[in-house]
Amino acid sequence: MSALRLISNRTSQQALSNSDYTWDYEYYEYGPVSFEGLKAHKYSIVIGFWVGLAVFVIFMFFVLTLLTKTGAPHQENAELSEKRFCMKSFVADFGRPSESERVFSHQMAEESQSLFHFCINEVDHMNKEKESQKGPSLESNTYFQEVPKSSGMFEEDLHCLTKFNIPNFVNTEQNSSLGEDDLLISEPPIIL
Amino acid sequence: ENISDFSLNVTDCTQVVVPEEVFFTVAAAGILENLLILIAVVRNKNLHLPMYFFICSLAISDMLGSLYKTLENIFIILCKMGYLTRHGDFEKKLDDAMDSMFILSLLGSIFSLLAIAADRYITIFYALRYHNIMTLRRALVILAIIWAFCAGSSIAIALFSYEAATVIPFTILFPLMMFFILCLYVHMFLLARSHAKKIASLPSSTVHHRTNMKGAITLTIFLGVFLCCWAPFVLHILLARFCPHNPYCACYMSIFHVNGTLIMCNAIINPMIFAFRSPELRSTFKKMFYHSR
Repeated sequence: MSALRLISNRTSQQALSNSDYTWDYEYYEYGPVSFEGLKAHKYSIVIGFWVGLAVFVIFMFFVLTLLTKTGAPHQENAELSEKRFCMKSFVADFGRPSESERVFSHQMAEESQSLFHFCINEVDHMNKEKESQKGPSLESNTYFQEVPKSSGMFEEDLHCLTKFNIPNFVNTEQNSSLGEDDLLISEPPIIL
Repeated sequence: ENISDFSLNVTDCTQVVVPEEVFFTVAAAGILENLLILIAVVRNKNLHLPMYFFICSLAISDMLGSLYKTLENIFIILCKMGYLTRHGDFEKKLDDAMDSMFILSLLGSIFSLLAIAADRYITIFYALRYHNIMTLRRALVILAIIWAFCAGSSIAIALFSYEAATVIPFTILFPLMMFFILCLYVHMFLLARSHAKKIASLPSSTVHHRTNMKGAITLTIFLGVFLCCWAPFVLHILLARFCPHNPYCACYMSIFHVNGTLIMCNAIINPMIFAFRSPELRSTFKKMFYHSR
C-alpha cells in the first residue's frame, strides 16, 4: 500500500513545478508534514472547496433564472396568436423546390435564421397592424404538407436556435409540454 | 529507494485510492462514447456543420483526457510490477509526453467550449449572416489554430512546469475562460428575455416561465459540470506548487485520484449535454446500431 502511495505521489507531482526533475523519491518533500496541533478539521480545504463550488453553482443558477424571467406573469389570456403567426410564417416557406437536398437544406437554414429575425420584427409590426397580418397566414397552410421531415440541416439549425428556449420559438402550443426537439419537426405546427 | 524520506504520518490523510476497476471502467466509457460521436459525425453528411465540428473537437479533447489517465494507470501498474524503472531517461520523456497530453486535453476542452459558445452566439446575434460568417472552411481553420495553440502551450507547460510562471497563467486561464463563456451565454439569455418581453407585452399572449427556467438549467448544468470536474484538479496544481508542506494542503492533495476520476467523468457527461441533445446525431446513432445488427 505504501508503495502505491509512493508511486502515486510521484505521478501526482509530474505536472508541478520542480527545481530539478528526477524520478527519485528523495525529491518529494511530502514529508515531513506534521499533523500536530491543527486548529481546524484536516479536510477543511476539501470541504470548504466543495461547499464553495456548490454555492457558486447555485448562485449562478439563480442569477440566470432571474435574468431569463419575463416581465409579465399576470397575463393569463389565451392563445399566442402572434406566436402562431410567427410559427406559420416559419413553416410557410418549406415548400420551396430545389435541386439537391443540400441546397434545399441550406436554403432552409438561411430561411430559419432570416425568419428568426423576421419573427422578431413581426412582433413589433403586429402591434400596429394586427388584422392585416392574419391574411397571409392562411395561405401558409397549403405548404404544411410539404414540410420535409428529412431536412436534417434545417432541423439542426432550428434545434440550435430552439435550444436556448427563446420563448417565441419554444412556446407555440397552448399546452407547453413540447420537448425541445418537438418543435417544427414532428408535429403539425398550426391548428387554425 | 529512500522510503524513509517519507515521514508522512501514515494514519493522517492517506491517499484516497480509487479502485482500478472503477478507474478503467470510467475511462473506457469516456473513450468509447466520444469515439462514437466522432464516427457518427464523420459518417453522416448532414452533420458536416461548424457546430458539429466544434462538438467533435470537444469529444477529441475528452478522449485525450481519459486516454491520459488510462495510460498513467497502466504505467503505474507496470512500475509496480517492475517492468519499468523509475529513474530512466525514457520514463522521464514518457512522463513529460503524458503530462503534455493531459494539459492539451484541458486546454482543448476549454477552447472547444469557448468555440461552441461563440458559434451559438453568432447563430443568435448574426443569424442572417451566420452562414457567411461561419463557413465550414473557417470553422476548420479556427479549430486548427486552437489545437496548434493548445499543443504548443501544453508542450511548453509540461517542459517548463518548474516555474511558477507557468502554473499561474494556467490556473488563471481556467476561470477567465469560464467567465467569458458565461458572459456570452448571459448575453444570449438577455436577448431571449427582451424578446420574451416583447411577446409578453402583446395583449393576447401568455407567459411560460417553465421554458425560461429550462435555459437557465441547461446553462447551469454545462458550466457547473465543467467547473466541478476540472476545478478540483486545478486547485490541486495550485496547492502543490505553493503549499506542499501545509497539512491542510497535503490533505487536499491526498484526494488526487478522485480528482482524476472526476475529469474522466466529465468526458462521459460532456457528450450527453452537448452532442446527444441533437436529434440528428441521435438518429445517426440509431441507424449505426441498427445497421450493425
